[in-house]
Amino acid sequence: MLNALWIALLGMAIIFAVLGILLLVMVFLGRVVKPKDNQEKKDR
Amino acid sequence: MGISAGEFLGFLNLTWQALVMLVIGGVLIWLGIAKKVEPVLLVPIGFGCVLANIPLGGVAEPGGFLAVLREAGIHTEIFPLLIFIGVGAMIDFEPFLQRPYTILLGAAAQFGIFGTFFLAYLLGDGWLQVLDFSLKDAASIGIIGSADGPTSIYVATVLQSKYAAAIVVAAYSYMAMVPIIQPPIIKAMCSKEERALKMPSVAGTISQRRKILFPIITVLVVGLLAPKATPLIGSLMFGNLLRECGVVERLFMAAQNELANIVTILLGITVGGMMSGTEFLRPETILVFILGIVAFSLDTVAGVLLGKLMYVLSGRKVNPMIGACGISAFPMSSRVVQKLGLEANPHNHLLMHAAGANTAGQIASVVAGGVMLMLVPIFS
Repeated sequence: MLNALWIALLGMAIIFAVLGILLLVMVFLGRVVKPKDNQEKKDR
Repeated sequence: MGISAGEFLGFLNLTWQALVMLVIGGVLIWLGIAKKVEPVLLVPIGFGCVLANIPLGGVAEPGGFLAVLREAGIHTEIFPLLIFIGVGAMIDFEPFLQRPYTILLGAAAQFGIFGTFFLAYLLGDGWLQVLDFSLKDAASIGIIGSADGPTSIYVATVLQSKYAAAIVVAAYSYMAMVPIIQPPIIKAMCSKEERALKMPSVAGTISQRRKILFPIITVLVVGLLAPKATPLIGSLMFGNLLRECGVVERLFMAAQNELANIVTILLGITVGGMMSGTEFLRPETILVFILGIVAFSLDTVAGVLLGKLMYVLSGRKVNPMIGACGISAFPMSSRVVQKLGLEANPHNHLLMHAAGANTAGQIASVVAGGVMLMLVPIFS
């Protein structure tokens, strides 16, 4: 029973960790890519 | 001649289990056609079920065409992965990219998977032992909470669960029943004032460059952190890259139409073929269906709870209802929240916010499937 509890707790922790990192990467990506897009608009 | 009629007349070999399954197959077909409940899946599944339970037909026995399809498409895990390429090609992740924080709602809404897994294991080998649920069976049952058919099939197959057929049918049936399951839970957890809360629209669109980078980066991040999720997330994101890159229109169209349709036919009829009376009709199957509802309900509760936390932390800028869309059932869950929002306030259009959480839930459910596949062998 303890192994199931570990799977449940670790499972949720890993999901939040993986998706939290993905969130940070997405926010970073949003900041990095945006200025270039603005430049593209200006060029047009 | 020495041949008895029972050797070639099917109805003389009809057992009560086969008869019940023929009725169940008929009900699934009826639900699909008459009630429009996930017809794309329930019609092939129902028909496969009918075929598999015709005595002496042999279509689901070794060498039969459904058995061959099962071996080639399910046991190799190919069908769910091919379906995911089609799903990835169909989904526009822009609402999520505009609101990346919704990925946390997706994460919270996977609680149903692990809560149900724990419950199933307690009922089975873990404690009470009233049902024949091993750790792997419990994990496969829990994954119904991913609210995602291909993920459910993939995980149940990889873990070699005895209840794969029931799990898949439960997953698809409950996805269709999201408009029935979620509203009472959401209404019980959110006051009318909360449901009526309008969310500010997000200014600007997402650039194509960002949309192209998104699937590639997601595969790298998820794959490197949770490698067991790579086949699922890889297929999903490959399909999405075909959609967003803008240079492979034919492949994108083929992925979202021909590929998705053909594999859906093959997958549906094969899953139906797994529903033979002797395998399907046991007390555990009923429990699998009950636990499936528990999984969907826990998903919704956990998602709304995090939504409420965001509501407080954001200074009442996030409608807590969108937490319920962290469940991966796309787009049913978004529509449920949109409808509830409009009921509470006729000017409250939450669809795009809900779609952001819903598409985030799609990614989260795939990660949850990979995490389950990673952890179960370690603790077995």
